[in-house]
Amino acid sequence: MKKTLCFILLAFTLIHAKEFNAPMKTYMEGLSAEAKAANPSFTGFDAKRGEAIFLSKHTGKKGTEISCTTCHSTDLKKGGQNVNTNKPITALAPSVNSTRLTDVAEVEKWLRRNFNDVFAHEGSALEKGDVLTYIINQ
Amino acid sequence: MKKILLITALGLSFAFAGSVSPADNAQYQKECASCHFGYQPALLSKASWEKVMGNLSDHFGTDASLGKVESEQILNYLVTNAGSGKITANNNTMQITKSPYFIKEHRKISAKLIEQKEVGSLSNCMACHTTADKGNYSERAIVIPNYGRWE
Repeated sequence: MKKTLCFILLAFTLIHAKEFNAPMKTYMEGLSAEAKAANPSFTGFDAKRGEAIFLSKHTGKKGTEISCTTCHSTDLKKGGQNVNTNKPITALAPSVNSTRLTDVAEVEKWLRRNFNDVFAHEGSALEKGDVLTYIINQ
Repeated sequence: MKKILLITALGLSFAFAGSVSPADNAQYQKECASCHFGYQPALLSKASWEKVMGNLSDHFGTDASLGKVESEQILNYLVTNAGSGKITANNNTMQITKSPYFIKEHRKISAKLIEQKEVGSLSNCMACHTTADKGNYSERAIVIPNYGRWE
């Protein structure tokens, strides 16, 4: 009985960790509709594609190589460090940092800023949705 | 009596030397100090803050853009508490480190001490000014990494 309860609790935590809250769900649905409008064969966001975007390397505005991992590190469960100021950045993974991906305004702000810095353009709906799907599963 | 007053006033002015009001605005802390040290508004002039806030999408090479409302609120906080006098004299650039007073105060710090990894640049106040976050830059609170106290 105890074991079953443990399993249920565990399963609940795991499922919970991968769930967006209501405002974020609405935001994701908006991105989804936008992605579908841009490409009718779009079937859904993909964490694997998001991971590839997150790991991809580019030449930043300062001429040096930059990727999302430059500041966030490759292990999202650990914190990172701002490459320009050395200021610590708390972990991105919602499984260890429950405040992540909970506030639509914050998410939009950081996606805009960081896409511009790393990819030199504001992310498309597909790119943003894929990256968020990757992060929510961390 | 006059003498005592004068001495007291002099003593007080020394006690306050090296101090500015702390950056105690929650919104400023959240939006600006999440990436870098929360530089106190008194360290730049009104004109300087207007320049900084006018070009946040290219903020020293980084996109630090804000929504219109947040941007206006933070600009208002900064210009209301902006510096005047010796700290900001002859500096209307976007950089605190360009102030002649700032340059004079840091002139004896060797490049080696600044460039070491624990410091990196003169914009990293907290590396040596241990109470910089409280707005206190007094010499007594300075500890330079791999050097020690500066007195």
